[in-house]
Amino acid sequence: MMLSSLLRSEWVKIKGKGLWLLSMLGPIGVVGLTMVNYGVRKDYLLAQSDDDWAYYLDGILPLTAMALVLGIAILTSLLASIEGHTNAWKLWLALPVRRSTVYMSKYIIATALLLSSSIVLTLGTVIYGMTLGLGDDIPWLSILQYGFYPWLSAQAIISLHLWSAVVSSNQGFTVSLGVIGVMISFISPYVPDWVIWKWPFLIIEGSSSWSSIAVAAGISALLLLVGLLHFSRKDVA
Amino acid sequence: MKIIVQTEQLTKSFKKQHAVDGINLTIREGEIYGFLGPNGAGKTTTIRMLLGLMKPSTGNINLFGKSLARNKLEILRQVGSLVENPSYYPHLTAYENLKVVAQIVGAPLNRISEVLELVRLQEAAHRKVKGFSLGMKQRLGIATALLHNPKLLILDEPTNGLDPSGIIEIRELIKSLPQKYGMTVLISSHLLSEIDQIATSVGVVSHGKLIYQDSIVNMRKLASSAIHLQCNKPQEAVTALKQLSLDAHIEAGQLVLPNCPESLVAEAVRLLVHRGHDIYRVQEHKQSLEQIFLDMTGGVSL
Repeated sequence: MMLSSLLRSEWVKIKGKGLWLLSMLGPIGVVGLTMVNYGVRKDYLLAQSDDDWAYYLDGILPLTAMALVLGIAILTSLLASIEGHTNAWKLWLALPVRRSTVYMSKYIIATALLLSSSIVLTLGTVIYGMTLGLGDDIPWLSILQYGFYPWLSAQAIISLHLWSAVVSSNQGFTVSLGVIGVMISFISPYVPDWVIWKWPFLIIEGSSSWSSIAVAAGISALLLLVGLLHFSRKDVA
Repeated sequence: MKIIVQTEQLTKSFKKQHAVDGINLTIREGEIYGFLGPNGAGKTTTIRMLLGLMKPSTGNINLFGKSLARNKLEILRQVGSLVENPSYYPHLTAYENLKVVAQIVGAPLNRISEVLELVRLQEAAHRKVKGFSLGMKQRLGIATALLHNPKLLILDEPTNGLDPSGIIEIRELIKSLPQKYGMTVLISSHLLSEIDQIATSVGVVSHGKLIYQDSIVNMRKLASSAIHLQCNKPQEAVTALKQLSLDAHIEAGQLVLPNCPESLVAEAVRLLVHRGHDIYRVQEHKQSLEQIFLDMTGGVSL
């Protein structure tokens, strides 16, 4: 009940803050870059592999992951700035609301916006792939995996960045954290798998994946919980 | 009368420094409680603790007879607040600002127009708040606090940034709340004159400590006047004035007549001259409330 009222208010509050635009810009950028790539050297790219769809999807994944990491850093910071800008936390948290619910509402908004980005990306991927003539045997399962795995595995990054953005009064630390994340995503092949900013680059396949998914889900939940507890106990200055 | 706000030894420390030091507030139902103190005395920190925005280092807060720590949500449903400079969402209109809060406190949407009218912002309802003057933002803050008809209204320096006519308007609005809606109001200010015109009770805070708490009527009594009379034989003059049932005493070699009406001053002088006293000077010494609080707060002006 309280969460749904909070979410309704949060949707009103993000109006005009550019969050929707940002969420759409990410997937449009990724598909756009792919269009440029194939537009310039389509014949060369198609000659690289027998499975054109798989090659196409593998080319999109790093762009998606990088856009996602950058998007999360900006999105969480913008979300926190809604209150941070005029110190409206003292207005919002003096209302009869649980702080944990307030925190969850911010998390849900962030993850829902990024989910919408993933949906747009998936649609864009399919549509452009079809126009490229990559073959009639469209690998739907792979497309869904490449469209939504990065979002799923980015939950830990969302939790970490949201935590930092919401509890710090100046956004310097949050922006630095975002820069670190983006830099790591640039050099992701050389970074060990446990670094959370690498996770959106990993498409986990096969039977051994469940343990990795469980660990990732556990760490995401832990980061969310720690941020939530910190926010709930913090004095509002 | 029912006690609405009660704190017991409320203390908040930041790095060993007591911002609020053992404050025992008592605010009764229907009062307009003026929380007075110089800037940095601990008013805002106290208010933040009353709203659950900060946790006390030690001490207890009871609102409506219940512990704030244990019944926070239930209590906050009955409290409206404006803390320090007004908080708002600049990219939203005044109406939308109130709407996002109304959805949380469960106020019906038609209440938004009501409170906008109350603070005379109805014409600016659909303008973005970032273009508002400070006074308009302040009034929007008060409208937000009034949205759900709270039983307790906590206003931290609500007239900051308002022009003189705005100050009078808001003052009249606040004054009318206890009678019209049965609200209890806690209003903080660093201006004695402001509190003097609006409050029914007063608490004075200085360096984190509550140094005075009483009704405004009793506070005004502190501002007493006295006649100082300089004459050649003050001791004999005191005895002579007993005849007029005047409670005179000697202070620094001068005869002092506290709270003496004008007619009695004339009679006292006549009597003394008649008895052959030489009178050099008759002066009225009035200690203003300002002076009293200046003394209380250790020289920091209110």
